[in-house]
Amino acid sequence: MAILSFSGFIPEQICDTVRFIRYSGKQKISHYCGYAADFIAQVLEDPEIDGAVFPRSCDSSRVMTSYLDDCGKFVHQLHIPARQDAPAVRYLAAEIRRYKQAVEAHYGATLSDIPERAALVNERNRAVARLYENLSEVLFSAYLDMLHCLLQTPLREQAVPDNLPGKPGNGKRVYLVGSLLPGSTAGSAMERAGLAVVGDRLTESKRLFSAPPVPASGDVYENIAKSVLGNKLSPTQNNFGAILREDLEEIRAKQVRGVIFVTQKFCEPYDYLFTAYQRMLEEQSIPALRLVLSDSMDERTYEAALEAFADMI
Amino acid sequence: MVSSTQLQAKLMREYYQDFSKYAKGKPPVHKTAWVTAFTPVEILEALDIGYVYPESYAAVIAASGKEQAMLEESERQSLCRDCCSYSCCFEGSLILGSGPRGLPPKPDVLIATNNQCNTLPGWWNMLARRYNVPLIVLDYPGEAAERQDALAYVTVQHQELIAQMEALSGNRLDMDRLARLLKNSASSVAAWRRVVELFSKRDISPTLLFDGISHLITSRCKPETAELYAVMEAELSELPEADGAKPALFWLGYPLWYHAKRYLPELLEGCRISGSNYVTWWSLDYIGDTPLEQLFHAYNYTFLNLKPETKRARLAACIEQSEAVGAVSLHNKSCKCDFVSARHIDIPQAELEIDMIDRNFLNMERAKRQIDVLLESICTG
Repeated sequence: MAILSFSGFIPEQICDTVRFIRYSGKQKISHYCGYAADFIAQVLEDPEIDGAVFPRSCDSSRVMTSYLDDCGKFVHQLHIPARQDAPAVRYLAAEIRRYKQAVEAHYGATLSDIPERAALVNERNRAVARLYENLSEVLFSAYLDMLHCLLQTPLREQAVPDNLPGKPGNGKRVYLVGSLLPGSTAGSAMERAGLAVVGDRLTESKRLFSAPPVPASGDVYENIAKSVLGNKLSPTQNNFGAILREDLEEIRAKQVRGVIFVTQKFCEPYDYLFTAYQRMLEEQSIPALRLVLSDSMDERTYEAALEAFADMI
Repeated sequence: MVSSTQLQAKLMREYYQDFSKYAKGKPPVHKTAWVTAFTPVEILEALDIGYVYPESYAAVIAASGKEQAMLEESERQSLCRDCCSYSCCFEGSLILGSGPRGLPPKPDVLIATNNQCNTLPGWWNMLARRYNVPLIVLDYPGEAAERQDALAYVTVQHQELIAQMEALSGNRLDMDRLARLLKNSASSVAAWRRVVELFSKRDISPTLLFDGISHLITSRCKPETAELYAVMEAELSELPEADGAKPALFWLGYPLWYHAKRYLPELLEGCRISGSNYVTWWSLDYIGDTPLEQLFHAYNYTFLNLKPETKRARLAACIEQSEAVGAVSLHNKSCKCDFVSARHIDIPQAELEIDMIDRNFLNMERAKRQIDVLLESICTG
């Protein structure tokens, strides 16, 4: 099976999926997130992909089934609760069980290694967290490449290196906010502009390894649900207050001089978050730069904007 | 006999009374919630909590011709113009401190639901930052979820909402009163459905229905709403029959709130609009043996929370009822959830890029060409 997954909400403990990073496809939808449209395109066009799993967490993902339900491949949507309380955990646990059953029914497989997979995810996350602790010492572009590679590799074959190439010198310390960065070109451009990413709230980085470990005992589905909902929040989870509080704490602790906010065009959750985020940064006199990507293949490096930002901070 | 115009004016006056009082410096008597359009307001009404619909107010701002200043102001304050124009327009109004009917009273609580889209909770998060008041997000999994799981999950949330609103209002919920209000809502829906059934049969301006449905949003659990729709039904039944010689078109999408007629009659000469999906969206089904079951059914199974195949079937039935031979399908910049159902309809369509608030978004020349092509294909088809 080669199921393409969209977003970090899809629990890796259930089965291997290929995490969507980028794709150049024909699917263009007006006023619609380009990253989501590229995901739809890959599911429809890529013969290597035989299924799709995605959350219902934003408007673009909410309507994906309408674009995919007659594609003849496995298509499953997971409703991610808008809350993080006990009823939401119970509900999500039922959703995750339903996802497992759907995979088994479609592929005629038996998914019996969920506890083992949960342990592997815990271990992998701990290893990535150790790298993140030293983010200021390593090349951010190399860190991103490593993460993207991990997410497209079956769980049992994933290997997190102990070290990554170091930075050539001390850059100006910045914090990075956004969903998934589809390539490392923006990261490389930041380094060329003399910026050093020392922390982030990216889906593939902090919002990957910060999920609380899934314990070995108890109801495995509830434990996975707790882990998903106990992770660092996405703006789709309706708690901007928590996001701003946590990020500001890290920004202060790491003595960050500026924040770079990377969004996809027509991604409303991050557009709304940015408005609140910018107000918070203004109150703290921390400069912000916003980069808007048009789709998953957007290779613009924003050299001029990044250099100007580096000069400013 | 009282006319529908008089009844509508009365309902409007009641809904906006706190706006004008607030503008004169008088705070409302009751606590105020700002709610999204598919919030279970029967609970609030039963506890004497006032409720305000920011989305509806954005539509009123556009109808008054003042939306451009609001959109520009919110953009200046870093809210991206790609976002839902309801939010941009309303945010601009708050920043400028003005609106055509004054400003809504400051909220004591913000309640958002995700049974129409996932955008509204994001907007409500912004409002929560602005006012520093509690934000409650009600999560409705929709038709795709297992019914029993969804029922348990939603019911817990409704029970919590009741407890929170009791604490806010200082009142205790009377279940009998809630049951009566739900019955009112169901009666309003039933009466409105009878009005909508006349759309394809009588010579009815779509404007009447686009404006008329607003009471099903803002006042659905008030007994006067069903009364209004019964009067409307009687009045519309007296109108001449629809002109069968004119091709019937289906309006698929939102009304254009900025337009005096809410649609584009200047491009549709020689045709008639005989149906619209928008006017069916608030026809909620209050099904169940208990008030909590009725609330679950009504608010979990809203049109935009249904499975794609159910939405397609409903839309097809709606189009069939309208006897339309073509459709004006609106790709609304502000709403990704709306137009996707149009992909599967099997009558000729003119697909227009629009925004329901921002009048500058529509390219009229292009729209005219698209509608001309549609009419040509209908007439020669």
